[in-house]
Amino acid sequence: MNRSFFAKNPSILWFIALLGLFTLGVTLLSEATGTGLISTSFVKTLGKTLCLCLVAIAMDVVWGYCGILSLGHFAFFGIGGYAIGMWLMYARTEVIVSASMANQVIPPSATEVSDAIASQIFGVVGASELPTIWSFAHSLPLQLLMVVLIPGLLALVFGWLAFRSRVTGVYLSILTQAMTLALSLYLFQNDSGLRGNNGLSGLQNIPGFESTPQSLVSMAFFWASALALAIGYILFAFVISGKMGSVIRAIRDNETRVRFLGYHVESYKLFVFTLTAIVAGIAGALYYPQAGIINPAEIAPIASIYLAVWVAIGGRGRLYGAVLGTVAVTLASSWFTGGGAPDINLGFYTIKWTDWWLVLLGLSFVAVTLFAPQGIGGLVDKLVRKKA
Amino acid sequence: MSKTLLELSGVSVSFDGFKAINNLSFQIGEPELRAIIGPNGAGKTTFMDIITGKTKPDDGHILWGDKGISLLGLSESAIAREGIGRKFQKPTVFEAQTVRENLAMALKNPRGPFDVLFYKKTSDGAARIEAIAEQTGLTDSLTRPAGELSHGQKQWLEIGMLLAQEPRLLLVDEPAAGMTPAEREKTTQMLVEAAKTRAVVVVEHDMEFVRRLNCKVTVLNEGSVLAEGSIDHVTSDPQVIEVYLGR
Repeated sequence: MNRSFFAKNPSILWFIALLGLFTLGVTLLSEATGTGLISTSFVKTLGKTLCLCLVAIAMDVVWGYCGILSLGHFAFFGIGGYAIGMWLMYARTEVIVSASMANQVIPPSATEVSDAIASQIFGVVGASELPTIWSFAHSLPLQLLMVVLIPGLLALVFGWLAFRSRVTGVYLSILTQAMTLALSLYLFQNDSGLRGNNGLSGLQNIPGFESTPQSLVSMAFFWASALALAIGYILFAFVISGKMGSVIRAIRDNETRVRFLGYHVESYKLFVFTLTAIVAGIAGALYYPQAGIINPAEIAPIASIYLAVWVAIGGRGRLYGAVLGTVAVTLASSWFTGGGAPDINLGFYTIKWTDWWLVLLGLSFVAVTLFAPQGIGGLVDKLVRKKA
Repeated sequence: MSKTLLELSGVSVSFDGFKAINNLSFQIGEPELRAIIGPNGAGKTTFMDIITGKTKPDDGHILWGDKGISLLGLSESAIAREGIGRKFQKPTVFEAQTVRENLAMALKNPRGPFDVLFYKKTSDGAARIEAIAEQTGLTDSLTRPAGELSHGQKQWLEIGMLLAQEPRLLLVDEPAAGMTPAEREKTTQMLVEAAKTRAVVVVEHDMEFVRRLNCKVTVLNEGSVLAEGSIDHVTSDPQVIEVYLGR
């Protein structure tokens, strides 16, 4: 990445500048560091939206640029969330347990402490032992490694098997969806080692920062999310520019031809699939501490379909399109379903948006597909071209 | 006589009991220009599919290069990297990308994902692209999307992409289909020029075009070689006249 990379892609600088201004604006208006015009819960919503934007640009690279309609990227997002959630929950429980045992006459042994942590965490599913997969939960660095390693390895193995067998198109989508569903169903089980349908909770409490107000914690995560989105955006812009982008788009348009040019198509798909899965995992690890809770329902196939809808509405094949689509749909969604939108009284029937939001989303998806197949991003492109 | 570059011996392949290629043997040297003709269903396209690894033969050997390595175990992309380029019947270029991007992708360079990710443009590569554009008459179109090109120009771009790969063997499927007489003339020149330094196999229906290539001709019928020799030799062969020309 040198100066000419940015010179050739001025839209990246525009995006980073706007994201910076937005971050600064929110900071100045927040409760912790500014005038308090924006509530802490809304800062969290904005921070979460930035994480969703990050996973959406990953989806855009794998689908919009490489032509792989993955319905599994939200699973990687969830895995990232679980990986960080394990440490958050373990470390916080450790603090609580140690505090309650501190008054005992005989100081508790390490085993006693870890047993107490286990029964505290797993009592809800009737277990009192720490499952093997929690072996690293005591260590933040190791668990952070898991955030990238588990989605990365899963994508690598799954992708290798699928691409090697030349599974493409809708069949690949179905396969990725099956993977997502299997993972979600497995996590719903109480003996999955991740607390079944209870999921992991209390993730908004960051161990070591118990006395820091949530307004400040949410601000820190908001900044971290903005930074991650900026880095992810530059990374993906680099991947899809130049010759790599050329080959990736060529694979999307005619992979047989690319093969006869001497490119090992499967390696390229695997590279894109795995890289985007890792970024999705990182996005999830930033999202769930802001959401406070993660459970298997988050990983359900519908979440990955939403992801595809955001990218489609925003406009496939342009990174900022994915961001626009995500912001538009998620903010509209929280406005309509959060009681923000006024009900419409038709006299004989009242349209309650909490019920009708999905219908509206479905209709807008159809409308975009029919009237603006390039999405919101395509409309922006048209405007820019007209002015130029 | 030039040394042998590619040798097929006793190759057979059948689809659902239909023998598309039947005990076919074929040799080509380097450099050499060769035309392959034959009626519909003679196995011309399957022949190319087998060489390029798209179809695996049931039987037979395919030996390649100076060391005589077998192509049978290699994937399509590995065979392409060995130096076999293929042009399809229908022009297949990447229409959403510019002519320059199409050529740059084909340019002979390391093909691994990380080589490509950190690929730096070189003045050498740019010069190669210019030279190929010149050769194929696309100099003025380098920055245009390939989708905007005319049918003939797309065919040339594809030939240009093949040349950029610097293959030792070029397989060309019906290059003159749908071209105007002037375009045919130019295509003939390109192929004859390319065959000066490498092996070129042209599959063609059009007898007039083959005659103009002025090279050795192999006639395929029902999956095996019916006759081989100069155009005058094969066109006077009674068997060839019966199955192909007579109709």
